[in-house]
Amino acid sequence: MHLTHARLALITAVVCVSPLAVVAQSFDVRAVAGMLQLRGSGVGLIEGRVADHLKDGRSVRADFELTVLEKPRGGAVAHGQYSFIVSYDLWEQRFAVTRAGTPPRSISHLTARNAEGWCLENMTVPLTSLGRFARDVPFWIRIDYRVEDRAPAANPDDDSAFGLRTLIDVLSRRRQDEMPGRSLEGGPFRVGK
Amino acid sequence: MARRLPRPFDMRTLTLLLLLASIAAPSSKASAQEPEPAEGTRIESAEVSGLALDQLSPGLQRDIEALKGDRFERGRINRLAQRIEEEHPDVVAAVRTVPRPDEEVRVIFLVARISDDGDLASNINLRYAVESVEVEGIAYTEISQVLRDRMQRLVGGKLEADEADDLIARLEAERPGYDVSRRIERGSRPGRIRVVFEFSESERLRWIPFARSRSRYVYHSDQGWSGVHDIPMGGRDHRVTLGFAFSNTDDLIEEYSGVRVRFESRRVGTERFGLGLEVSRFNNTWREPTQLALAANAAIPEPYRTRLTVEPRATVAFTRHLRATGGISFSNLVSLSHSPDSQMANAVVGGLAYTQRWDLDSRSHQNVDAGYEIRSSGLDSDLTYRRHFGHASYRYDNDHNTVIASVLLGRVTGQAPLFERFSLGDTSTLRGWNKFDIAPAGGNHVFHQSLEYRFYNVGLFVDTGSVWDTGTDKRLRASTGVGILGDNFFATLAFPLNAGGANATFMMGVRF
Repeated sequence: MHLTHARLALITAVVCVSPLAVVAQSFDVRAVAGMLQLRGSGVGLIEGRVADHLKDGRSVRADFELTVLEKPRGGAVAHGQYSFIVSYDLWEQRFAVTRAGTPPRSISHLTARNAEGWCLENMTVPLTSLGRFARDVPFWIRIDYRVEDRAPAANPDDDSAFGLRTLIDVLSRRRQDEMPGRSLEGGPFRVGK
Repeated sequence: MARRLPRPFDMRTLTLLLLLASIAAPSSKASAQEPEPAEGTRIESAEVSGLALDQLSPGLQRDIEALKGDRFERGRINRLAQRIEEEHPDVVAAVRTVPRPDEEVRVIFLVARISDDGDLASNINLRYAVESVEVEGIAYTEISQVLRDRMQRLVGGKLEADEADDLIARLEAERPGYDVSRRIERGSRPGRIRVVFEFSESERLRWIPFARSRSRYVYHSDQGWSGVHDIPMGGRDHRVTLGFAFSNTDDLIEEYSGVRVRFESRRVGTERFGLGLEVSRFNNTWREPTQLALAANAAIPEPYRTRLTVEPRATVAFTRHLRATGGISFSNLVSLSHSPDSQMANAVVGGLAYTQRWDLDSRSHQNVDAGYEIRSSGLDSDLTYRRHFGHASYRYDNDHNTVIASVLLGRVTGQAPLFERFSLGDTSTLRGWNKFDIAPAGGNHVFHQSLEYRFYNVGLFVDTGSVWDTGTDKRLRASTGVGILGDNFFATLAFPLNAGGANATFMMGVRF
């Protein structure tokens, strides 16, 4: 009995302190050239600690995972992963974003909102991967992202690039350079509407 | 039109090279080679390289073409470069000036795609010339001349991310105990940046360390699973730790589950003074051997159903290695058999702690960790006791070899509550023995020593120790074992050496 209560307490606490907080829907979808493309802004990427970090002339990497769901919190229909590097031009006072991948794409002179919107627009899913959901069947979308400092490894002489200590640090400790992540879920959407 | 244009890739690469060379041009060093034209110099021609002119808006094309024959004005030229970038946000535009005869100047807008340059793609500020390199957190003179020279070589050029990152690594290697990060600020003139290497004391150099995490999930084949999870939150000076215990039997003779909250501030006016407060509430259960042992010995205080403890503490650091702690501890123990009757176990707490690390070279170091704590009942405590506990450990790491030696000693006089009594035979002490076989109700004396050798996280150990009550047999027990022995993960098979049988004990778990 103690264990059950304790587990409940742990789950409650972890949920409460987790940086993964669900925020309100702030995006839409459209079909462009056979791809499902997101539109919107205000995913909460460039604010708080991340914004402070960027305005110190540093850059961050944001790793997004987009999942198309058949219903709210339902099974995944399709998903994709996308990485972006964001920096803040100290003289132009605008943000620059590069989408990692082949080929990379970059853009600059963006406001924070527009930079977030550009990230969304560059997360696309082929309509062919949606199956029946590409034919006017409603679906939901979940976006998870994590932000990481682009700082280099602390000690290049350390040849233990990966170890259990690293793994446990990553899983269990709040590192100094740890940045927030978030989850957003929205819907229902229909292709073509 | 008759001339054959270079292939797009060649053109792009050429433009990029020119651009990057040009980006460095505004710096003091570069400008010594290519002086900034004087304001008012007549412009012989203005052109755009790396982007077809017709890709610009008609207005911008006109304004660039209008430069020809006009007087050179840096602000006007820079604004045109900025307009090129605003119309094509996937590029950067820099201005290069080429002196011409008759005191004229040729203006070239060099345009290149951001994504064609890995550095720019990683941080748009790397397009700017470095005006100065500075250090924060330590005195500049504390850095070796070699690294100071390397840092100063950054001045005048575009900031190269790889070089700056390598410098950070070298600075950290030269100044162990500091974390180094890089910050970029605007320079004194447009298009220039200041690079600041920030040194911040790592945990090792803090005067008062935060309390160690007690997080662990461990399995002992005789005792089952135990879990403790600490979730620290906060910054460098102040921290709140939320902790949970799940059927934990790994450190006391009681099995407890519950929650604790610990507030720590290790900079109260000065880094040498810290304050802390821990509040915990645990539900307690008792294994059958413990209940039987307690029933057979009326001198030991009774078991309790719940334990609520409040412990405020203050810490003073004499040096970065030696510190003293003082505080009080209030515990309310609700009787197991006569609930809601309860007892108070209150004590004044004092202690000394010493930690030291010596880095012999980049791959070998030694650590010493020692401490002594005394708890003396008072403050209207229902239980009267005094508890002394001391421990010391030495660790030597050399490449992938590790030797750890540790010893602990403890003594309780009077009637100490059960959570203050000593036990051995868990996943850390007398590994291979079961605490509920050795001393199920604990003891008021303890002695333990351990020697462990690890190679690539595979190791072996020998533990010896004894836990006993005054007037009883002080039997010295020993055990040995082998297995995976990492700092955070272990899986070992251990054997008691001087027991009647040869029962093996399997233990595994994570501590973090």
